[in-house]
Amino acid sequence: MGMVKVVKNKQYFKRFQVKLRRRREGKTDYQARKGLIQQDKNKYNTPKYRLVVRFTNKDIIAQIVYAKIEGDKVLCSAYAHELPRFGIKLGLTNYAAAYATGLLLARRLLKQLKLDKIYEGTTDVTGEESHVEDVAGKPGAFKCFLDVGLGRTTTGSKVFACMKGAVDGGLNIPHSNRRFPGYDSESKKFDAEIHRKHIMGGHVGNYMKELQDADEEAYKKQFSRYLAAGVTSETIEGVYKSAHDNIRANPAPEKKEQKPKPPKNKRWNRKKLSHAEVANRIAQKKKAVLAKVGGGDE
Amino acid sequence: MVNTKGYRRGTRYMFARKFRHHGPEHLSTYLKVFKIGEYVDVKGNGAIQKGMPFKFYHGKTGRVYNVTKRAVGVIVNKRVRTRIIPKKINVRIEHVHHSKCRQDFVTRVKDNDARRKAARESGHSVELKRRPVEPRKAHFVKTAKNKPQLVEPLAYEFVA
Repeated sequence: MGMVKVVKNKQYFKRFQVKLRRRREGKTDYQARKGLIQQDKNKYNTPKYRLVVRFTNKDIIAQIVYAKIEGDKVLCSAYAHELPRFGIKLGLTNYAAAYATGLLLARRLLKQLKLDKIYEGTTDVTGEESHVEDVAGKPGAFKCFLDVGLGRTTTGSKVFACMKGAVDGGLNIPHSNRRFPGYDSESKKFDAEIHRKHIMGGHVGNYMKELQDADEEAYKKQFSRYLAAGVTSETIEGVYKSAHDNIRANPAPEKKEQKPKPPKNKRWNRKKLSHAEVANRIAQKKKAVLAKVGGGDE
Repeated sequence: MVNTKGYRRGTRYMFARKFRHHGPEHLSTYLKVFKIGEYVDVKGNGAIQKGMPFKFYHGKTGRVYNVTKRAVGVIVNKRVRTRIIPKKINVRIEHVHHSKCRQDFVTRVKDNDARRKAARESGHSVELKRRPVEPRKAHFVKTAKNKPQLVEPLAYEFVA
């Protein structure tokens, strides 16, 4: 090893320009965000709503958001961890759960905006292409745009399940069939039945059946919680069907009781003494020293 | 030799990005709302080449007369020899900022209206005009911890 110049020296750091914070965190694609947020200037303050869909390892987050300079405001949100309330207790991040979350979000939002009677969406889940049109003489349909974040938009991706759920719930989201499961890119044909099966958890049911026929032990291990809950490959579609009905019946969010928290005092250093306290402290110290000195003398 | 007539001649520093502020523009630039009649400062942003103002208008302030999808139309005064021409330029959002020249006036108007209203209700008279800062009035100066220092010039010393 010869003498190699240190690249990351003081000059390097002085000149280094950091990327935007959320880019550094790897959470935001600013080019996409710019396209989603930018409103035509001749539309002034009209907000541009977007349906934000994000997947974590165990949850799905669906929100209707619009951008303001102070920070984005969330109009309405729905999480997959709310689905147990409607009957979906397992598989909270699968395609069917994403659809249900989108549906929940749409119905919740429309109820919040008092549009739920006007825009019912499609109550029959067929997986077919459907778009929400404005009803004449009534307030227009709620329009928003899908924000996938950093997820790759492949055919059959779960973000589109969430979007489809929202569209069937009554939101106007411009889209096409190209990325739904059931679209054949070679023949450019869309098979709605395959899509419907995915929405109703049919693909999970199929795998359950396959595993059961192939290897009973592996089946029991993989779907142990399903078996414990009594969900089989036959009943799985029913679970989602009844969940959709439950969602449409009462999508309002559950209010959690907020316990009034006692104000916690945070102090990291000592409190400063007042003038009187300091004078007292000095007097006491003086007395103690004098006593010691006086005692020592004698 | 005559100066070259390149559109962006002599703008090496004018349109350059500031130190460590290169790269993508932050999104609050695109969230600002411009209305007709507002005062705006024109400031060219070299990172966005579309809809840039001509170098003369960099640093000028004008009024918005038109708002389109991604740009605003601004009326800027330009002095040409003996007269001032109100010029209309089309500039993209990224090259325009809300001007604070008007801000002081607008807040003062609002403030005055409120004070005039309060004065009318209370019956007192109110002085709304701005006054320049007056010289300090006569006052006593404490010398307890502030003794006056006598200052004298030093006797001249010749240094060879």
